[in-house]
Amino acid sequence: MSAAQEPPRGAKGHRPQIFDDPAVDQLYAAYVTLATELSVAFERIDTLERLLETESGLSREAIRNYQPDESVSAERQRQRAELAERLLRPFREFREQRIARANHLSDTSPSD
Amino acid sequence: MPAFKQHPMVPQTTHDEQARQDFVAALRGHLSGRLMPGTYQVYAARVEPAFRAKHGRAPKDEQEVRQAMTQDPYYQFWSAAQRRSQELLWESVIDPTERQLPALIDRARKLSKRAVGAKAPRGGKNARGRRGTLRLDPALTVPKYHTAADIHLQPGGYHTDFTADDVAAGAVYDKGINLYMGGALGEENNLMGDTLLAYVREKHSSLKPRAILDVGCAIGNSTVVWARAFPTARVQGIDVGAPVLRYAHARAQALGVAVDFSQQNAEQTDFADASFDLVVSHIMLHETSKSALTRVLTECRRLLKPGGLMLHLEIPRGRTDIEKFMHNWESYNNNETFSRYMTDIDLKAEAIKAGFSPEAVLVDEFAPKLDVAQMNYAEHFFWKILAAFKR
Repeated sequence: MSAAQEPPRGAKGHRPQIFDDPAVDQLYAAYVTLATELSVAFERIDTLERLLETESGLSREAIRNYQPDESVSAERQRQRAELAERLLRPFREFREQRIARANHLSDTSPSD
Repeated sequence: MPAFKQHPMVPQTTHDEQARQDFVAALRGHLSGRLMPGTYQVYAARVEPAFRAKHGRAPKDEQEVRQAMTQDPYYQFWSAAQRRSQELLWESVIDPTERQLPALIDRARKLSKRAVGAKAPRGGKNARGRRGTLRLDPALTVPKYHTAADIHLQPGGYHTDFTADDVAAGAVYDKGINLYMGGALGEENNLMGDTLLAYVREKHSSLKPRAILDVGCAIGNSTVVWARAFPTARVQGIDVGAPVLRYAHARAQALGVAVDFSQQNAEQTDFADASFDLVVSHIMLHETSKSALTRVLTECRRLLKPGGLMLHLEIPRGRTDIEKFMHNWESYNNNETFSRYMTDIDLKAEAIKAGFSPEAVLVDEFAPKLDVAQMNYAEHFFWKILAAFKR
């Protein structure tokens, strides 16, 4: 292989339906992702607070009054888009799989 | 729990990447330690009695347990979280791997040239001062049991190259399996190798192998254990996946251990008859197929010298129907497509079919004195070992 391909984020193969309503599967997957991202955010905040406390004289007031400039806003916009991608990837895959099935491009069946 | 060893082939993590991996490990710990045992309680307290009330008897087999349990809301919640945690596990490792992939590939190339053991702190250089090698076969056909579905949901599986000299699948697998077991596999993911080695020390203490083959070695995490344990032996590892082997080679070099890796299918290798004193595999058989299983065992027998020993470490498939159902979660939800068929396969009969004498085959259960901190599907754990001597 010479030309690099974008590696996939989802696995090839059968996707189980666990709940009676497939919508619940999708909501549940997003909920677990959200918990992960919340944990990441908590940890980031915790890191910031600890660094602020020990390494700067920055006040909570300054944090409350902070206004992002244009480049910060752009950076945050990118981060939000990334979060949305992480959160909603299972929904997109679910849709893709349903369309593929409808087109008789069936997903793989487990066999020897 | 020993920390995962940050050897040179392990991608560095940013603050948030690390936090993401840490949360996935914590989630899996919670699922296996706190929520999974509840599925057994729910079965005993609700699902089994409800089945009895409806049918006037207990479920007669694993399929009937499956039909009843998959309708239970508690099981559904555990199962959905288990599935999502597996997907998030890979995502959390893929991010840092892709970010650093060019550097990792470059590092692998450099490590490949390094004379192993020259500066290794201990045990790195084997007695003959060899260095590890890598032999890839671009013409090898990757078997369908790898290409049909990505085993364990790792995108691209063990075998897909997405760029030249790709090592991503190996880097992702190394950190991924460590998170999978919440760190219980050890600082070098050495638990399976240590387990089979402990079995050899206990049951075959006189064994002094000079040539050892690890079939389906992936990143060589167990292969390295054997090379360290028998420093004068020539140790080889084979796998069908090129990217995991490139990584395995670089990883062994980085750890200062001489191993010869080659890209081969364990069903049919290019080694001469009677090449090895010891042929091992580590939870590999259940990732093949019914026909491949017979061919792998037949090939292992061909490769053994007279008096040589074959050892396959396997996951138990459960004694009761509810245990069987829980173990088979991996098959229905985690792309271990073949593993559920292993439930009813008689490994001793398979070995005999492959040519081993019935009296030279043993299917053993082994609970080593190693700390297995996380059980994903059963409350009581032991390893299954298929052991066979070649006459």
